[in-house]
Amino acid sequence: MSEKQLLQVRKQKRLQVFLFFAAMLALSVWSAISTGFSFSGLFTGTVDSTKFIIFDLFPPDFSYIASLVEPALETIYMSFVAMVIGAIVAAFLAIFASATTAPHPIVQVAVRAFSSLFRNIPVLIWTILLAAAYGLGTLVGTIALIMVSTGALTRAFAEILEEIDMGQVEAVRATGASYGQVLAQGVLPQFLPGFFGWSLYMLEINIRASTIIGMVGGGGLGFVIQTQIKLFQYEQVSMAVLLTLVLVLIMEWITNQIRERII
Amino acid sequence: MTLLQVKGLEKKYPDGTVALKGIDFEVNEGEFIVIIGPSGAGKSTLLRSVNRLVDATNGAVIFKDRDVVKAGTRVLRKIRREIGMIFQGFNLIERASVLNNVLHGRLGYMSDFKGMFYLFNQSQKKTAYELLHRVGLGEQIYKRADELSGGQQQRVGIARALAQKPALMLADEPIASLDPVSSNVIMDYLYNICREEGIACLCNLHQVDVAKKYATRIIGIHAGEKVFDGKPEELTEDIINQIYHNKKKELVANE
Amino acid sequence: MRIESTYKQNIQDRLEMPIKPKKNIFLQIALLVAVLFFFFSLYQLNFDYARLISGTGAFLETLTLMVPPDISQWQHVLAAALESFQVAVLGTIFGIIIGFVLAFPAADNITPHPTVAWLIKGFASLLRAIPTLIWALIFIVAVGLGPFTGILAITVGAAGMLVKVFTQSIEEIDYGVIEALKATGAGWFSIVSQAVIPTVLTAFLSWCILRFEADMGESTILGAVGAGGIGWELTHAMRAYKFDQAFFVAVVIFLMVFSVELVSNRLKMRMKNIG
Repeated sequence: MSEKQLLQVRKQKRLQVFLFFAAMLALSVWSAISTGFSFSGLFTGTVDSTKFIIFDLFPPDFSYIASLVEPALETIYMSFVAMVIGAIVAAFLAIFASATTAPHPIVQVAVRAFSSLFRNIPVLIWTILLAAAYGLGTLVGTIALIMVSTGALTRAFAEILEEIDMGQVEAVRATGASYGQVLAQGVLPQFLPGFFGWSLYMLEINIRASTIIGMVGGGGLGFVIQTQIKLFQYEQVSMAVLLTLVLVLIMEWITNQIRERII
Repeated sequence: MTLLQVKGLEKKYPDGTVALKGIDFEVNEGEFIVIIGPSGAGKSTLLRSVNRLVDATNGAVIFKDRDVVKAGTRVLRKIRREIGMIFQGFNLIERASVLNNVLHGRLGYMSDFKGMFYLFNQSQKKTAYELLHRVGLGEQIYKRADELSGGQQQRVGIARALAQKPALMLADEPIASLDPVSSNVIMDYLYNICREEGIACLCNLHQVDVAKKYATRIIGIHAGEKVFDGKPEELTEDIINQIYHNKKKELVANE
Repeated sequence: MRIESTYKQNIQDRLEMPIKPKKNIFLQIALLVAVLFFFFSLYQLNFDYARLISGTGAFLETLTLMVPPDISQWQHVLAAALESFQVAVLGTIFGIIIGFVLAFPAADNITPHPTVAWLIKGFASLLRAIPTLIWALIFIVAVGLGPFTGILAITVGAAGMLVKVFTQSIEEIDYGVIEALKATGAGWFSIVSQAVIPTVLTAFLSWCILRFEADMGESTILGAVGAGGIGWELTHAMRAYKFDQAFFVAVVIFLMVFSVELVSNRLKMRMKNIG
């Protein structure tokens, strides 16, 4: 009897898996047909792209590096300023957005919805909107990056706060500590490692995102990339891309060093 | 002299669970009272209602002539700082040093600002160190709390509670997460220190033999009601059965 | 009582607090440097703070111009949204296929040769390091405008990430499982299919869901550079200063991305319960 049941369950599960894959296949075929996708197109596309990368993008124009220093520094400044401001704002918002520390459930829902606006409307759209109001340049780039950082970090920080050990908090409360003291002595020590870890990670993300933001008017390396593409200066484009890569790698290395020491 | 009076204490959680159904008892100075009862009987809720980590639904808790249940924020802080508490899970701030954990016991006596920014003075540090020395951890004071073993962490917990200079000590299953040897050490420290300092103690335990060894008085709780309150020698096999509703047999088998 | 206090006095005289070990001041220095660098950056960026204020006014004004949203173009917009969705689906699926094929030879514990593993990992990190939007720009030059470019760009981005995370999942496998099968004399393919795939399948699936979530966001913006989909509608409306139309497009994008996040959260929950 139970073996029969087991067989039945297994059969059912297999059917579920089969249906899932069938659905995915149908979805893909439908998507392929309506977007006019074809494998021969994929093949020629890949070949053309590879050709383009090899013949037009290579070799990067290293003589161009001197004029890239300024925008590269801009990218770093913007990313860092946005990370700091974003982390501070997000830490404040997270207190209201996490179930453990929020003063009221309605506040929690409101703050979560607010921060999800920053997360779910892509940064590019925010930047386009902002550029219309503030004009082009690093100001727009920084504000857009602050939005990205705030959105992502609020969610991350709130999750950290929800996972802290409430026993430790309870113990500090039991000594007769005030609300501020409980936050500082009971919550903060548990929150700090995650706070620093995520903020550092955000710095990396900001540097990557700043290229995109730059393309629609946010200054920095992204702006150079966009301009040079329009001018068909592909070897200078690849130099700028390469420099972005180097920046990201350096940031990754530095943040890893710091992370290892503080956690 | 009466230190603590609990009168008709009731607690109903938002999810509908009734944890306490009208508990009455008194604690006199210098008593070492052990509360026994099966898990889920409401021991933990009872203890947490005394310093209002849990808000009682009904009834009164009078500590030194002040009603804990009705106390405002400032009065509550003053009450809490005179009541030390140690926990089953030790509940130390794991990333803080052992010394800082003990200093947390002084928070209730400090201004908001000083407490928030770790501004402890030298004499507070010295006192904290002496307390740690007393529980045999004088060498470990700069270690991080999570580097210590369970038994050592609980001793830090005792030192933290002592730093409050409490009149009453609450111990919520202080040895439930410890091995038998550490358990003995902890119970000895707790008992001796409370005796020496004249601190009354209210201790939750589930081991009846340990309760009988240390208690000056035993209170038995079953399903949120007090079913026994008397001297250890009055606690007969029958009464134990009544408290645990024949769960006693299982307990013996487990040991 | 008196005896006790003299005892305490004695202890106090005898006890000397141990000397505090030298504290690691790395964190303090790092924080100080961070604060200084923050203000240095602000100084270097040299913002025009008057523009910050006037711009905020203009921004709020723009926002008021957005309501009520102009939904007259809804057929157009929804068709474009559908295209973005399809681009995301195809891009993610191709990314998954590439990631799945390359992850096994790239994992240190089962790779046929360390050099192969190193090559694949390097290739993947190159793909990953360049943002999807830049890939889209490259493909536009190479193959022209349209959804096909979007699919390629998403595929490259997804493959770059999935190769990395799939590889990590495989490398976390308990080596004993593989060893046991090796001991039976099983070949490479049977080890992978019998021991490795069943172990990592759940992890793979949750990464795929996460990646689809990200790709959905990417595909909505690819249009901004001309790679098909709803992003183009937005740029178009903004350039024409039709803010009410742009707002409608933005709402549609928000709903798309948000509902994908909701569905994926659901799926993740269910997988947590099962696995």
